[in-house]
Amino acid sequence: MKSIHSPERTSSRCTDGDLHGPRNPFEEFQTFAFQKREIPLDQIVQSAEQVMDQIRLGYEKLLEEEAKELVWMVQYNTIIKAYEVAERYIKEIDYTAEDIEDFCFALENTQKIPYLIPGPAGIYISALCNYAKEGEIVLKLSELKTEINLIGFRLPKEKRLTVEGDTGDFTGISLEGGELVVEGNAKNWTGAGMRSGKIWVKKNIGLHTGEWMMGGEIYVGGRVRGLGNIVEGKVFERDKLVYPGKVRYPNQYY
Amino acid sequence: MNLLNIGRVSYVKENGYQTRIMAIYQFINHHLYFNRPDIEIKGEPFNSTILFSLLTGLMKGKELIIGEPGLGKTTSAEFIGSLIYQLPLGMIWGSEVSGHPEQTEEKIIGRPDLGKLNRGQEDVVWTHFSQIPVKIVDEINRLPETKQSMILDGVDRGNWEYLNEMIINEEYCLFATANYQDGGTNTIIAPLVDRFDVVVESRYPGPNLSFLIGKSRRKDQILRNPKHEKDLYRVLTSKIAYEKKIPQMEEICNAFGDYLHKTIGIKPLRKEDREQIRSEVETLDLDLDASAFTRMLLSELSFCDRYGQKRIIENCEEGCHFSEYLCHEIKNCASNRLPTSIKLYAQGLAWLLGDSEIDMEHVKAVMPYNLSHRIQWKDEILSQKERAKRDDPFQIYLAKEAVKTLSHRYQEQSEHLKDALAVGSKIFQGEPLEFLEGDHPLYTEIRKDIPPIK
Repeated sequence: MKSIHSPERTSSRCTDGDLHGPRNPFEEFQTFAFQKREIPLDQIVQSAEQVMDQIRLGYEKLLEEEAKELVWMVQYNTIIKAYEVAERYIKEIDYTAEDIEDFCFALENTQKIPYLIPGPAGIYISALCNYAKEGEIVLKLSELKTEINLIGFRLPKEKRLTVEGDTGDFTGISLEGGELVVEGNAKNWTGAGMRSGKIWVKKNIGLHTGEWMMGGEIYVGGRVRGLGNIVEGKVFERDKLVYPGKVRYPNQYY
Repeated sequence: MNLLNIGRVSYVKENGYQTRIMAIYQFINHHLYFNRPDIEIKGEPFNSTILFSLLTGLMKGKELIIGEPGLGKTTSAEFIGSLIYQLPLGMIWGSEVSGHPEQTEEKIIGRPDLGKLNRGQEDVVWTHFSQIPVKIVDEINRLPETKQSMILDGVDRGNWEYLNEMIINEEYCLFATANYQDGGTNTIIAPLVDRFDVVVESRYPGPNLSFLIGKSRRKDQILRNPKHEKDLYRVLTSKIAYEKKIPQMEEICNAFGDYLHKTIGIKPLRKEDREQIRSEVETLDLDLDASAFTRMLLSELSFCDRYGQKRIIENCEEGCHFSEYLCHEIKNCASNRLPTSIKLYAQGLAWLLGDSEIDMEHVKAVMPYNLSHRIQWKDEILSQKERAKRDDPFQIYLAKEAVKTLSHRYQEQSEHLKDALAVGSKIFQGEPLEFLEGDHPLYTEIRKDIPPIK
């Protein structure tokens, strides 16, 4: 509804203290200098939807190119190839960290995205995080039913990614100096092949932790189920150094 | 007491009344009512029971203190009442009303003067409860529902009527305590519940402080003085007019205040101190964010797109566009007493913290305690959330969660909302502008407040 009021018709209305007319219920805001903002709420929603469409399109293209058969094997070559495809699409999109979180939920909750395949989805989300403008990204994924694999892949230096919730396999693999915080549990092969940086897992971590890890540190607040063959780097379990050390041996499960 | 101990609240005015109130807060916390801090306001930890009870005493409020038996509900109110109003503890004990099924109007408000009645004259002997400024109703939910209405008017307006006579309390505050439901409790009737400005829980202090309470036996004696108690008793039972008793009571209270100052180093508040504080508090107003945020809350607690406003007898329409807002989670409509309570306590808190305006932090801190007893949540919301991990009683927890959600919503929309209110003001003043659109009940309510042009 658009209502236009003319000044001469409202002369009987009063402000504070005048007992002869209705009192202005918004009088405190009388002096508030409102601005005609260029982006009203509808436009914000619209532009957010446009960004989401672009992000979704990139994911669909990735699926088309990498997982046509709906079978996706986690092999290092496949991961690198998929990451390159993801990079190609993502570089074109102007998005924020919030859009990444929205995309994670859209993966599970909308009909518009056909498949949630934890591998490619994780690669794609990692690429989104790595190319985001923000240095610090928080993904609230605790409500998500699927644990996404490969989150934090190649997380670069000066980026901090916090995941609220659990992550799947291959969390933080090939980490490149960034800081990855998982507020819940992480599954197997966490930190595999990481070169530098830090991974914090607040709860428990699975098998093969730090497999072929070349540097960096992994901190686990709960239990480490099993270590992988670590080349270099450190693994802490509840503040206690478990690698290097004699407390834990690779491929023995605790 | 060394005032340096209270340096934690460093931003209060030096030598201002705030320092004195914080000294009372610390004295109660360290010597009389041991408990842990359970809320943080602007980085300062407070115990909600002491803080809100102090504000109740200062602001002439009405507070309901809930909790398990034996956790200091009544004693916290007694200590605070004693120190804010300079009343000896024995006097407060003697004027308390206890809630039980056989309670009568004669024991709560007043009774006929039987001597005069024998001579054919009608006169009222007022109870101490109706006369003193600190009113404590112990276990209010043990009063049967029919008898709760006896105290409605007195609680609300300070008017106590019996036969054809009436006394008016110019200055009073009310503390009522209630246990959780058991075999002997009744529901507090909705009109009485709504009259309480705040509800707080007197919590278990933890085993270590509880152990300490067991060791310090004589703390009740600190705030007692038999001479002053007898003097006050004599004045209150005397047959002079109530208005004439007040200055006499004040005189005895001042003497008791001086006695406390000498013995414990704490200076309780004289009547003129309390009046001065209230006049300082009254100058504080809500800043624009606090005002817009409160309006946002009120709109969500009263809005119904389908039926014009929330009514307890009507249910939400299926597929309602406004299903994301609080109106969809509750059954009843916010009362007009809610904004008054929010402003009263937020004002008191802002003053106590030495701030010059009421801001978002103040209103966010007091709102859950003003709200929790006034909201009736839908059954599905209660069953959804009853198992959630929490530290507070369920109703206060739900109110805190609601305020948190609302605060997130406000952060997203604050600028547009303030713009909409400013535009509303200008349209009200007759400027030819268009209403600002937005997806919140408040935008619709703004339109409704502009009178139609004839």
